[in-house]
Amino acid sequence: MPEEHRPEQPELRGLYRHVKISVRTLDIIIVAGIAAMVLLVLWSASGGGYAVRFDARGGSDVPAQSVRYGEAVAEPAPPERNGYSFGGWFADEAYSIPWDFQSNRVEGDTTLYAYWIPD
Amino acid sequence: MAEQTTTPNSTIKKGPFRKIRAEIDHFNTLTGKDRQRYITDMLFNNAMYIIIVLAIIFIAIRVPSFVSLSSIVNIISLTASRLPIALGVAGCIVLAGTDISAGRAVGLAACIAGSLLTTANKIFPGMGVQPLPLVILIVIAVGALIGFVNGFCMAKFKLHPYIVTLSTQLILYGTILLYLKMGENNGQTLSSLSEGYRNLVAGTLFTIGTVAVPRYVLYAIILAAIMWVIWNKTTLGKNMFAVGSNEEAANVSGVNVMRTIILVFVMAGIMYSITGFFEGARIASINGNTGFNYEADAIAACVIGGVSFVGGIGKISGIITGVLLLQIIFTGLNFLSVDQNILYIIKGLVILVACAIDMRKYLVRK
Repeated sequence: MPEEHRPEQPELRGLYRHVKISVRTLDIIIVAGIAAMVLLVLWSASGGGYAVRFDARGGSDVPAQSVRYGEAVAEPAPPERNGYSFGGWFADEAYSIPWDFQSNRVEGDTTLYAYWIPD
Repeated sequence: MAEQTTTPNSTIKKGPFRKIRAEIDHFNTLTGKDRQRYITDMLFNNAMYIIIVLAIIFIAIRVPSFVSLSSIVNIISLTASRLPIALGVAGCIVLAGTDISAGRAVGLAACIAGSLLTTANKIFPGMGVQPLPLVILIVIAVGALIGFVNGFCMAKFKLHPYIVTLSTQLILYGTILLYLKMGENNGQTLSSLSEGYRNLVAGTLFTIGTVAVPRYVLYAIILAAIMWVIWNKTTLGKNMFAVGSNEEAANVSGVNVMRTIILVFVMAGIMYSITGFFEGARIASINGNTGFNYEADAIAACVIGGVSFVGGIGKISGIITGVLLLQIIFTGLNFLSVDQNILYIIKGLVILVACAIDMRKYLVRK
């Protein structure tokens, strides 16, 4: 470790106790860390957006969509299931929050759950 | 060191710019290499703030709705909801410790509040909605107990805070899952919370245009004020900083170290339980994952806000700034549709960089 240029380097205290690191190394960590963050954000922000998955709960398969933040989900064709009729998509497994394809907006990765009414 | 070089003129100046003027005067006295070093230190010490400001500008240009009124109110509300836990964990960091059980303590408090304030009680079948003051007391008592256990183990046995709070974290998680399985609930999400509970916490405080500001924003401000008084105006606060910067010296000068550590952790536990009480009403559906990883956000916010892992260093205003900046950046990344899984990696990098800056400040200052 090239520490001659700062011979007066003090001991770190607290949770950093016993840490042996030079200012130069720290500078590299700071620059590299920030660069990694920026690259990750730029790479991810150029993607297709958030994944909207449809959990058909035993019904026929419904393909997932990629939707950008603040946009609406395109309503898929209703799935089918023997012995049940389709009762709509819900935002939670407990079927307490119905998903409104007109007014609800995507704010992150989303899974919608199919509600089935026994015939 | 800036104070020594200020001219009489600049010391007369008052207000928020006094410090900046002093810095400029100090800079003017430097020459050549020192000047270069001063700028480098300045850039590195404020790297996190600089990058956040640049990110905000970038996001605002790409997605203009990021700076709309509803988005700003949303950021402020989320900041308020995350402030109490940060205020709690900050005390532990000032003690040169930390608390990684905070998020699960939030979750447990939310579960308890939700189970006692629901109109369709499945955990305690047949039990109606309990009175709000009683539930608040129960939740606070549970938080205080968690804090006491953490603080006691640290103060009495000198155990490393990571070991103690890692074990509490897991114990709390198991407790949450078992609690949610009680009665007829079978691990389901708690919802149908009582109107009174939801209103008390998430009801409208006032509206700006058409955007409602929730009541918990006011509560967070009150909590911050209380914590400011405790940190700055009470013996406990002074003792906390003394123990944090040098435990032996504090002990020699007559500070009851054990009592101070326990009280700070109890205070932190109470803050977690209040966060949980707010979170329950705010998200209105509580499950085993509620509160997961909240401590990471809170700790990151504290370090960004200048609460140092060195111990004995930190300000309430810094914590508020840290929570706000972190919230702005993560809401902004949301607007950019950044993958939520990547947010975890970014949070990890934020903590790493913030700690590197924290260490650098300490090493260079000396």
